[in-house]
Amino acid sequence: MLGDWIQAVTGSLFWEYRRILLFGLATNFYVFLLSAVLAMAMGLLACLARLSPLRAIRWCGTFYAELFRNTPEYVLLVWVHFVPPLILTLLLRTRINFSPLFSAVVALGLAASGYFTETFRAGIQSIPRGHVEAARSTGLSGALTFRWVILPQAVRKMLPEALNQFISLFKSTTLVSLIAVPDLMYQVSMITQEQMRPMPLYSGAAIIYFVIILCLSALVRKFSEGWRAVGRA
Amino acid sequence: MGMLQRILWNNRGEFLEGLLVTAEISLIAIAVAMAVGLVICLVRMYCRPLRWLALLYIEFCRSTPIYVQLMWVNYVWPELFGWPQSFFAAGWAALALQSSGYLAETFRSGIEGVARGQREAALSTGLSPFLTMRWVILPQAVLMMTPSLMNQFLVVVKSSCLVSVIAVPDLMYRALRLTSIWFEPIEILSFTAFLYVAIVFALSAAIKWYSDRLRSRYA
Repeated sequence: MLGDWIQAVTGSLFWEYRRILLFGLATNFYVFLLSAVLAMAMGLLACLARLSPLRAIRWCGTFYAELFRNTPEYVLLVWVHFVPPLILTLLLRTRINFSPLFSAVVALGLAASGYFTETFRAGIQSIPRGHVEAARSTGLSGALTFRWVILPQAVRKMLPEALNQFISLFKSTTLVSLIAVPDLMYQVSMITQEQMRPMPLYSGAAIIYFVIILCLSALVRKFSEGWRAVGRA
Repeated sequence: MGMLQRILWNNRGEFLEGLLVTAEISLIAIAVAMAVGLVICLVRMYCRPLRWLALLYIEFCRSTPIYVQLMWVNYVWPELFGWPQSFFAAGWAALALQSSGYLAETFRSGIEGVARGQREAALSTGLSPFLTMRWVILPQAVLMMTPSLMNQFLVVVKSSCLVSVIAVPDLMYRALRLTSIWFEPIEILSFTAFLYVAIVFALSAAIKWYSDRLRSRYA
């Protein structure tokens, strides 16, 4: 009992399996990076749709954002992993499977993109109309106004919020172990089955994630405070 | 249509019971989280020597992924504390653990958000500190934190689908079991996803409506 605690804190069991566990943690970051890219791309698209002058397109963007913001990540993960491959199989009449990694990236990316849509939209809409009108009246085209007037200000406004979303996205990457992507939690559950000692292993995993996410959010906080202090946001 | 009827309508009892378990576990979790969060918040604000402990607790709850907490509570707590002995208890304990950290901070910002002058004015008219808390600070603080409290409930409902992993028979668990019995994932999983989206969307719309009404009435 006490020995288990000592093992959890000193990580001797972790040291024994350090290779597999480090590889698992790297998988977490890998899934995180890929789904972050997907989330930003889809979020930007949906945000542009939400700002479109056409009501139908605007409506599509809103629908997209609401759909993915309101779906639990785990439900989305399972759905993406099992349903679209079957539908494609039925349609194309060839057997199609999604690899766990692919499903994980798509599901987490889509889930996060709903939140990014709102963050981007809030950032862009926070720019006073006067700036746009002033830029347009000095002869900048619509695209140039967006590139040089709206974007630099909007990015600064939405950066703190977006960084927080990245942290929640990283937290959700632990879910991918449920569809057998070999991340840290997956490796921990495999080792638990082998060693039959859940206590030091799961405590150790919790401590590792706690430390990583605490450091990340401390960095984010420091960064956004500095950002605010120089009056950019 | 025959397919839909065979799979979904004939198993409506399963879906309904799953929904009930989801509702039950979410309500228990948010109630426990409110109680624990309030205690932690009071310790953090008014109990100097234990302040660091409360801060550590809050940071741990907020910075650990819910799935990791769920596994930790489910596998480690029985060994550590001899509790919980059932999956259901482990499920709500993990959900409550996560939320109590967030709620402690919500309560704190609610209480601190009431202007200092209010407290000083109440004390100087002769109200005792307890009566000041009860009649001056609390009503305003509750008004301020109700929207984030309700949003936390939404988060709990959303994360509650994870308890299916530890075999709590909630909506997600029953959907996965039906899928493995009938092997019709398209209908069953899509319908389940639809149910979750509809519930969470309806809840968040209701919360938004209610918060707007509160704000326009009192603020």
